[in-house]
Amino acid sequence: MRTDTPILHVDMDAFFAAVEVLRHPELVGQPVVVGGSGERGVVAAASYEARVFGIHSAMPSLRARGLCPDLVFLPGDHAHYREVSQRVMAIFHRFTPLVEPISLDEAFLDVGGAQRTMGEPTRIASEIRRLVLSEEGLRCSVGVAPNKFLAKLASEQAKPKVSRDGAAEGAGVCVVMPDGVEAFLAPLPARAVWGVGPKTLERLQRLGVSTVGDLAAVPEATLISVLGRASGSQLWSLARGLDERPVETEQAVKSIGHEETFPVDLVEPDALARQLLRMVDEVAVRMREAGVTGRTVNIKVRFADFTTISRSSTLADATDSGAEIGDVAGAMLDLIDTAPGVRLLGVSLSGLRDGSVRQLRLDEIPETGWDSRSRPDRLPRWRAADGVVDLIRRRFGHRAIGRDLPETGSRVEDSTERQPWGPDSRDS
Amino acid sequence: MKFRCERDVLDRAFSVAARAISNRGSAPPVMSGLHLHLVGDNLAVVGSDLDLTIRVDSEVGGQEDGVAVLPAKLAADVVRSLDSGQVTVTIDDDGARVVAGRSDFNLRTMAADEFPKFEQPDGEAVTLDAESVSAALEQVVKAASGDDSRPILTGVLLAAEDDGLRFVATDSYRLAVRDLPGTSILGRDQTVLVPSRALEVTGRLLGDAEDLTIRLAEREASFEVADVTIVTRLIEGEFPNYRGLIPSGHPNSLVVDRVALIDAVRRVGLLARDATPVRLAMSADGLELIAITQDVGQAHETLDCTYEGNDLTVAFNPGYLLDGLEVSPGDEVRLETIDALKPAVIRSVGEEGFLYLLMPVRVS
Repeated sequence: MRTDTPILHVDMDAFFAAVEVLRHPELVGQPVVVGGSGERGVVAAASYEARVFGIHSAMPSLRARGLCPDLVFLPGDHAHYREVSQRVMAIFHRFTPLVEPISLDEAFLDVGGAQRTMGEPTRIASEIRRLVLSEEGLRCSVGVAPNKFLAKLASEQAKPKVSRDGAAEGAGVCVVMPDGVEAFLAPLPARAVWGVGPKTLERLQRLGVSTVGDLAAVPEATLISVLGRASGSQLWSLARGLDERPVETEQAVKSIGHEETFPVDLVEPDALARQLLRMVDEVAVRMREAGVTGRTVNIKVRFADFTTISRSSTLADATDSGAEIGDVAGAMLDLIDTAPGVRLLGVSLSGLRDGSVRQLRLDEIPETGWDSRSRPDRLPRWRAADGVVDLIRRRFGHRAIGRDLPETGSRVEDSTERQPWGPDSRDS
Repeated sequence: MKFRCERDVLDRAFSVAARAISNRGSAPPVMSGLHLHLVGDNLAVVGSDLDLTIRVDSEVGGQEDGVAVLPAKLAADVVRSLDSGQVTVTIDDDGARVVAGRSDFNLRTMAADEFPKFEQPDGEAVTLDAESVSAALEQVVKAASGDDSRPILTGVLLAAEDDGLRFVATDSYRLAVRDLPGTSILGRDQTVLVPSRALEVTGRLLGDAEDLTIRLAEREASFEVADVTIVTRLIEGEFPNYRGLIPSGHPNSLVVDRVALIDAVRRVGLLARDATPVRLAMSADGLELIAITQDVGQAHETLDCTYEGNDLTVAFNPGYLLDGLEVSPGDEVRLETIDALKPAVIRSVGEEGFLYLLMPVRVS
């Protein structure tokens, strides 16, 4: 018989920080964060010792330092984290082939088929924690539940508890049985529900909803009228602990993108346009490497006051061409008033599809006299140029060549050494 | 202004004229309205987005001449909702009153003097047979691009060709060409580029008409179908050299029953999801259609055909393929191919005058 609670959510405890402490034993017991230490950096991960001071991930580094002057800042080493993550995921794979990595430090497991050989899900959860600790020296928390939504909430409950007095060990494993779903969910805050962001939360509060229990009491029709059909009925199901999403082993990539926090806020449209072009190039190269094309170009702009806007535009044709993505992204950026100062800029392509299948175009046929002055018709030539750029980069390195705005004399800028969570203090 | 007419008369006038209105942010607010001009028993209703203007002239029982602009969508919705029968419209400074049976509406009007004056292009009027132009438009207009960033491709090229008139449209993925022999509206070597939107509206009106009158001026053209006049700005710029795209020779030629192929592409196309193509595997043994979408499934179907040439598999977007097959005249079509990456041509067997060029999908 298939178990009632086949889904595990495994979440590493303070993963980046814990990995760093393993490499730097002298830091054991100290408040450690990984992230950008510069004026504008943000915290990517904080050890439990640091969390006691109220420090958490995504907090501006300056603020973190203010909360804890003795804080140890470490630059991130993603390559190393990825390596450790792969070994941890390999441990999960000993129990079931159905492992869905969400990020380097968390994964969903479906152990429904594994129980005959490996034991009950709860036992598997404990065993995973034991092996991850003994083999990698790392701690993790595991939620065991009937579905992904509940398992993720359960792992949160199993986490170490942080208070002013220090960090106390958590339960490590938290199990939600089918008959305990209602009791488990009811007291949780509504924002714990997957898909409830600040905007949705505001609307729910107007309905008098603050807990999941309150949410479950709202009729589905009311939620649909307030939040729209899709979100409304999804929220209604989740509030009852219903979630049909399967554990997907091969996470289909939904978008490819790149974003950066600048060392200083950028105001000049030209300067921003040049940064955008460089990022677009980065994204286009990665798409070509991955063999995918995308139809929707998205840009994201975060202003100095942290307000963030995004714009998107869907092309007639999927593309992996930096020139084409750049034109569309640039046109969207042109319409945004950057006067308040731009802190972060990002660009991504979504609507991804197999790049090996491509609708050919009549204007790609050479020597037909297709009007070469109109904008999109120069793209076939850019496409050829993209191939050459890729080739040069493979031979001479990423910095060897790149696109720039016309009539400037600037050198090729390279972003690959920057941390995604902001520049290091060395740069600023 | 005051007039009386049947609801159906007003309903048609409003809904046809409203097709010209596009809710573009750049147009002044008054362009979201319909302009009414009553002189004697003639009511002229005009809708426009400055690029395209549609005027419908209707005979009504006029009582008091006048000019007014009504909010288009609301006015059209109101008239459509009325029971059929007599409608009385009275417009004065207080607004427009629409009375039918026991229904009584009062609509705010808009400033009529801000509405651009209707002007007919001054070109020479040429009258064509509505039926043949209707067929030609149906075959060509759909191949034009809907992408406003490529304005030239949103137009249909009208060109003088031998002793006739040629229609050409392309969205850069496919190209449709249709000749109307013995029809001349253009001077030798003259071409005009007409927005496909204007021709689509015209085409829809041609169904039950006998004649189409065309006037061409330097920057504008008009199309008159019975009581409707469509005025459109022409697109400036040079249309791609489409002749250079049409292959002069082709080693492979497939002849197949048109309706059988349409049905098969529709069926097999169900398994061509997420932009995957339908493959046509052609050999002397016959034609096989194949669609494979990863994680979804696959479909195969074979068809009888006559094939001359080398064994060849070409992949097409099923939608583009169907568009061409559906508008091809005749019972049989010929598909001419060179290789898997070069343009393929669909022609009707036994009927000259229509050609549909289609770029394949590259599968690597």
